[in-house]
Amino acid sequence: MQYKSITKEEWDKTLEHLLLSYAIFASIDNEFGQDYELIRPADIARISYNKPKPATSLKSFFLPVKENVTSERATEKPRIILGIPNCDIEGLCLLDEIYLDKEFNDIFYRKRRENTLLISSDCIGIQEHCHCLSYNVKPYSSKNADLAVIKLEGTIVLRIITGKGKDFIEKIPAARSLEDKNLISVIEKEQLSTETLLATSNKGLPDYKKTGKLVTEAKAELWEKYSARCVSCGACTTICPTCTCFLLIDKPGFEKVKQMDACQYPGFERVAGGEDALFELQNRFRNRYMCKYAWKPGKFISLACTGCGRCIEACIGKINKNEIFIELAK
Amino acid sequence: MLNNKNIYKPIRAKLTNVIDESQLIKTFVLVPEDKFSFKTGQFIELSVDGIGEAPFTPSSSPLVTEKLEVTVMKTGYVTEYMHMLKPGVEMGIRGPYGRGYPVEKFFGKEVLILGGGCGLAPIRSLLYALEDIKDRLVKVILCYGSKTPADCIYKPLFDRLNSTEKFEAHRTVDKADEDWDGSVGVATTLLNKIRINIENSVAVVCGPPIMMKFGAIRLLEMGYKDDQIYLSMEKNMSCGLGKCGHCMMGEFFVCKDGPVFTYDEIKHNPEIWR
Repeated sequence: MQYKSITKEEWDKTLEHLLLSYAIFASIDNEFGQDYELIRPADIARISYNKPKPATSLKSFFLPVKENVTSERATEKPRIILGIPNCDIEGLCLLDEIYLDKEFNDIFYRKRRENTLLISSDCIGIQEHCHCLSYNVKPYSSKNADLAVIKLEGTIVLRIITGKGKDFIEKIPAARSLEDKNLISVIEKEQLSTETLLATSNKGLPDYKKTGKLVTEAKAELWEKYSARCVSCGACTTICPTCTCFLLIDKPGFEKVKQMDACQYPGFERVAGGEDALFELQNRFRNRYMCKYAWKPGKFISLACTGCGRCIEACIGKINKNEIFIELAK
Repeated sequence: MLNNKNIYKPIRAKLTNVIDESQLIKTFVLVPEDKFSFKTGQFIELSVDGIGEAPFTPSSSPLVTEKLEVTVMKTGYVTEYMHMLKPGVEMGIRGPYGRGYPVEKFFGKEVLILGGGCGLAPIRSLLYALEDIKDRLVKVILCYGSKTPADCIYKPLFDRLNSTEKFEAHRTVDKADEDWDGSVGVATTLLNKIRINIENSVAVVCGPPIMMKFGAIRLLEMGYKDDQIYLSMEKNMSCGLGKCGHCMMGEFFVCKDGPVFTYDEIKHNPEIWR
């Protein structure tokens, strides 16, 4: 992997300069927690580096909650998203498979994707529910993001991942090739120590090769037990980096509005005449697990759960999917 | 290379005629603004301006490209509005989507078609396609059931088929009225009456979910193999593009991988009869 380094001071100046031509979103810690914000020059010093993970998943930048998909759009300013954890980068791969499909590509998604530079951030340390490594997702990007950033003392190190990332970084004269082997080994040590933390805190959690079989063979009683506290609010699907279901809504003039939807909502699968395979709450609850761990893996290469753990944090019924898997694996 | 077509944008089609088929079923004759072709068994998303969109399989011949017929049962929000439409209005069409009937695989075979209720709509399109290639088929048998004689759609179709070489059509009703002197019973009961060489045949089932299930079970009992049975699955497809998730049936998107499946392709999946 090729690295570039730049002093933190020069990096901040570079960001300020980039704000003239880019909309930059970065992960910022505030009194409500950590999330992406649209950056103004005064915010640059507040950007948080290498801390997992923003409350919002990356998909919200590419799949708005609601958008008109029949009218022409003015070209948007190019975007940089800075500080993306690798779980979200991997989650985006599934969206790419779905929305950039050869036969039917979504031009709105594609334009946003082409217009955005993804700067991932190596996770140093973990949050309570982080479990990416259990699904073989590393806590740092080495593919699929354009660049990855690591902040070490007064230095910003950037790992070059794609051609798009390389082209971008080469236009920043202050970024110099990093040859210091010591610094690279510091980065590798940090990566390893985060991996160790993940492995230790997720002992007993079955990996992605096993989860499909476990949910497929799970008995009705299990779904009944865990769905008892579910209120079908859809927070888990809304916050999930890979849940992408939507509904097309008609507006006068044959316009269509694409609105995010969720299999957790009643009526999601209702057909004309009233039949509804997901009428029972526990069936809807089970559907999400089957979709992520059994069905999508049978259809797509990319993971449908990257272990970000946000669905656990978002659940108002305190349903912990990792508890379900640990029980299933017993 | 990805194309720049907007996959969500419908083309316009003029509604030129509305045919009453039964109390709840009407056929809408549409002339699309652009040439529109489909393979029999594929479906379209048909929209009422500003109201909504729903998936339908055209009931007209796939050989006709200048107009399109869609037979619609009044059964939900969008279809209620559709039933109020008068000729002259514009409707929206997206598609065609999905995998239709592989008629080329029927060459040299006897084709048994089991249909129920509004399921006769896609079947009529299939029958037109089969009539066109009848020289390459051994025979075609249609077994169709409706709730009552009044609910039977396309009544002239049955006489026409019965007078067409290689075709025969049978009807039954769940509940007879005073004028009915034909068979009474669900559609599968007609299967006892027909003569067919199962080994050299394929079976097509299209109807309400309950008929799909018991139709498939009956055909298997008769000796049909899993890959000889074609099922047209029903789900509420919203996008038709394999994206929105509404039609997921196990690992399949019914809109893209179907709606026509062989029983063999989907039998491992317990979700199909859910």
